[in-house]
Amino acid sequence: MSYIEVNNLRKTFTVRKKREKGKLFREKEIVEALKGISFVVEKGELVGYIGPNGAGKSTTVKILSGILTPESGEAAVGGRVPWKDRKEYVKHIGVVFGQRSQLWWDVPIVDSYSLLKDIYLIPEKEYKERLDELSEALQLEKLMRTPLRLLSLGQRMRAELCGSLLHRPELLFLDEPTIGLDAVSKLALRDFLKWENKEHGTTIMLTTHDMEDIAALCSRVMVLGHGRKLFDGKLPELLEKYDTVRTVAVRFSSEDITLSLPDGASMEKKDGEIKITYSPSDIPTADMLTLLQNAGNISEMTLESQNLDHMIAAMYKEMDL
Amino acid sequence: MNTLHLYIRSMGMLLKSQLQYTSSFIMQTLAQLVMEGGEMLAVILVIDRFETLKQWIGGNLFFFFGLMSVSFYITEFFGRGVTGNFPSMVRSGQLDTLLLRPRGVLTQVLCSGMDPRRISCIAVGVVALVMGSSMSDVSWSVLKVLALLESVAMSCMLILGLFMIEDIFCIHSVKSVELVNALTYGGRSACQYPIDIYPRPLKILFSVVAPFALTMHVPASYILGKPLYGWPVWTAFVTPLSGALVLAVMIMLFYRGMRFYRSTGS
Repeated sequence: MSYIEVNNLRKTFTVRKKREKGKLFREKEIVEALKGISFVVEKGELVGYIGPNGAGKSTTVKILSGILTPESGEAAVGGRVPWKDRKEYVKHIGVVFGQRSQLWWDVPIVDSYSLLKDIYLIPEKEYKERLDELSEALQLEKLMRTPLRLLSLGQRMRAELCGSLLHRPELLFLDEPTIGLDAVSKLALRDFLKWENKEHGTTIMLTTHDMEDIAALCSRVMVLGHGRKLFDGKLPELLEKYDTVRTVAVRFSSEDITLSLPDGASMEKKDGEIKITYSPSDIPTADMLTLLQNAGNISEMTLESQNLDHMIAAMYKEMDL
Repeated sequence: MNTLHLYIRSMGMLLKSQLQYTSSFIMQTLAQLVMEGGEMLAVILVIDRFETLKQWIGGNLFFFFGLMSVSFYITEFFGRGVTGNFPSMVRSGQLDTLLLRPRGVLTQVLCSGMDPRRISCIAVGVVALVMGSSMSDVSWSVLKVLALLESVAMSCMLILGLFMIEDIFCIHSVKSVELVNALTYGGRSACQYPIDIYPRPLKILFSVVAPFALTMHVPASYILGKPLYGWPVWTAFVTPLSGALVLAVMIMLFYRGMRFYRSTGS
């Protein structure tokens, strides 16, 4: 049996619209947030969960963390059903919401941790060990006596992570953990998550809009759209299909060159630099290079694959999301 | 036991948070003093103008007023999570984070708020109680002290229960329902005075729906030596239990409501 087993999960919300003029009652609309999702996750996996806004990512996380009860379908995490016996279940999981704090705003973060110790009934010795370990890994030692409200966003995210891992959860949910973080903080966060996953075998499921997160962290990615699972597999497999466009930027040593491109490639000139966009399946890259070399004396050239975000956007578009 | 420990630690933490803004805290505490002092002034004016209200002399009225102030503000002092913060917790999604912890939701809601500024209001209430009992020449006995303690405890439960009505609605509609304030704050204003001065509909409202009369006026009238409706002594100990009953029903409804909780977006 796998660690997380989700089978045909459904969840609907009733949204009450604003009352229209001339009507007595407000109209209700039933929104299907999840239309039968199924997947399994093994222990120790690091899974990315992506999809456009409103795809049902957060709903899945909320159901799997026991906050919401689904309409139908089954789910089990480590043999436990999340929405049954909530108090027992949540001892084994940790959740970090990127936009929602779980710590106390006005007190030093170490006080928050100490209260969490009481909430989770963590034995003193275990708590000390874990706190030392986490504060070192997350570089929180110097911030321990600082109230949360005085921390920067990056520091706060690290503090939140520490808080949600104190009780040694087997499973960690991260809902958009890198939202609003600068490059350094993002990198540090990713390193930490890798470390936690490797060191303690913590299963991690993260939702994000930042494709770099997925590329750096996740061995597996699931794509969700309109409440359905559209893809489940490795990131390179997902991208293969959409990674079809290359851009080459060249500079020639002389301005006057004659370059005639075959059909399917487009050219853009700007400040002496020429940008050519083509797809390798139509025009082999080797041919394109020969073409450029024959056109004149190349002084500078870069070849780029498409930006990850563009690829995902293309993918969402094709899947009609 | 663990729960109590958690509650005390949480209260310590909240107090620490509040004291981060010392001057604001002092100003607001003073403001509360002025506010509640003003309420008491209203009672003084009534007494000054009429001397007696039905069978009740001035000292009696102070006693009723003091009983209400003490009960109401003790509830707000310690139960701010339930009496004030809950609607915004639902709206902001903070309730979700409580659901992620291995403790009862209500315990955590209670642990999430306190309002130490109310200390000044409680002080006014205590002064009114002391003044009222000495002006009414109450001959205190063990039984009477017990009746007073029970009355305050049960009234606190009742008030907590009434505030929970708003919270229960809130779970569904994510909006706060101001109408419920008619029972809570309205009840506080009305039941500062003994129930028998009111017309029948209000008597029924505050005896059956929101039984302030049962938790406060019946035991208080016994303590003052003028039992309401001439009821026997034991009623002063039995009727206040309605406060616990209201709270128990509300807790049940609260947990029933939580089953339909739908969270807010992220």
